[in-house]
Amino acid sequence: MSAVRPVRTGEQVATPEPLITIKSAAKVYGNNRGLSPLNLAIHAGERVALVGPSGSGKTTLLRLLAGALVPDEGPNSVSINGKSPANLKPGRELASLVGIVSQRFDLVPHLPVMHNVLAGRLGHWSLARSILSLVWPMERRAAQQALARVGIADKINERPGRLSGGEQQRVAIARMMMQSPLVVLADEPVASLDPARAEEGMALLVGLVHSDLGHANGDGRSSERALIASLHTASLIRRHFTRVVGLRDSRVHFDLPAGELDDAVLDELYDLGDGYGDVEPLAGLAARDG
Amino acid sequence: MSFRRLQSWLTGPRLLTLGIVCALAWSLSRVDWQQPIAHTGGGAAALKVLLALFPPDLTPEFLSICVVASWHTLAYAVAGMSLAVALGLPLGILASGVLAVSSDGHNPRRWTLMVAVRFLLAAMRSVHELVWALLFVAAVGLSPMAAILAMAIPYAGILGRIYAEQLQVAPPEPIAALRTTGASPLRVLLYGYIPMALPDLLSYTFYRLECGIRAAAIMSFVGIDGIGFQIELSLADLLFRQVWTLLIFLVVLVVAVDWWSSRVRRSMAY
Repeated sequence: MSAVRPVRTGEQVATPEPLITIKSAAKVYGNNRGLSPLNLAIHAGERVALVGPSGSGKTTLLRLLAGALVPDEGPNSVSINGKSPANLKPGRELASLVGIVSQRFDLVPHLPVMHNVLAGRLGHWSLARSILSLVWPMERRAAQQALARVGIADKINERPGRLSGGEQQRVAIARMMMQSPLVVLADEPVASLDPARAEEGMALLVGLVHSDLGHANGDGRSSERALIASLHTASLIRRHFTRVVGLRDSRVHFDLPAGELDDAVLDELYDLGDGYGDVEPLAGLAARDG
Repeated sequence: MSFRRLQSWLTGPRLLTLGIVCALAWSLSRVDWQQPIAHTGGGAAALKVLLALFPPDLTPEFLSICVVASWHTLAYAVAGMSLAVALGLPLGILASGVLAVSSDGHNPRRWTLMVAVRFLLAAMRSVHELVWALLFVAAVGLSPMAAILAMAIPYAGILGRIYAEQLQVAPPEPIAALRTTGASPLRVLLYGYIPMALPDLLSYTFYRLECGIRAAAIMSFVGIDGIGFQIELSLADLLFRQVWTLLIFLVVLVVAVDWWSSRVRRSMAY
């Protein structure tokens, strides 16, 4: 068995209050431990990569942050900007707090790209506006701008079912621009893309929270945002993230500035350690489904 | 073959097949084979009906009657179906339960409503349109309205049931993604469930329109004009060539709806 590395904190940000505070949050499903009591503080402006083998708790952590799961200690052990996501009813407040980009991008295949992008506004719109928009798109300009930013302005009237995986991810990112949450969560967002598309996709995802790209709504909150994404590729993490948190056996195994992530660290994290042999740690495509 | 091997061979599906074959053999043994299947002279009558197809009645006067009758049948079918869709779609949405469930759990009042609507739909479709027609003739008299209502009620029951199922099988991931944008159940319905189910919804509605044309054709006995009414008249006069002409018109009508439906479905495909 390998020794547990001492936990080191990531890049220190000047902001005194962290944007996200997780205080001994745990989640147990029956006999399975989804997440052991875990502490984590994430500041605005941070881009945190979650790494770890399957079943290490990455998805559980993301779902706790999204408010889709309630921590066993109660909703208050997870706090984003002073609010507990699991306490918020689905709606505008939760939608402007956190948003999720999934591996499959989860677009509605028959609905034109325009409406898929505008769906990011559904939490903000009145019902009448939501209905009217299907006939006469509201905030059409903002949707066009978001699509232009992700480089697929010409696909606005296509149906997502006809788009490639990389283009679908761009639509999902444009939808996230419209939703404009403080914290962007991404569960293996590039796992189904080839390396070139993965690089582009990650750059766009980072653009959601990074001031370089700004925001569809231009609300100037870019520097207040944070990105938390699970992924496996060391090169992407070093290039696009500020901090990397390694999870193993549903615990924090290491917490490093992304620049310090080297292959030895990942090797050790993914090492099954009890005779199962070595697992290829850098297999960005390993998590691909089907 | 030992009894043991027979026992292991004779499992569920084979046992069922054997049972069905035995039941069939028994029922054949109960048929009185001495009696002819058709009554005396029936064969000749059937031949006469069949030969009337060569050729059917294609005189301009009769063709113009056929066109008007087809038009009426189509009009009744479309009116009945429109009403059925207008009733069936909202009921189907309520019966599907997609409004009763959101990411924060069940809404108990909407859940109760869902169960109630499912019962209502079952009641509507368990009575055949002809029986509804008899009831409406008793209530509102011999009128086109009676025929349209008689068709709309059971068809709404069937459509609602199928619509509900088609909405339920929508892929859950895009639905979950829409919920995380803060969309309420009604918005998730409009932006997720309905767009994803739309090709199926349309396809089934078109299929039901075909059924509706057949149903409208036989509504003649509640006094509405149409293909069925003309068939009744021609049959009464033993004018089989005219009956064939009318049947051809009916087939053409159904095929035309099928063609229209496949064109719409092709434009929906992504």
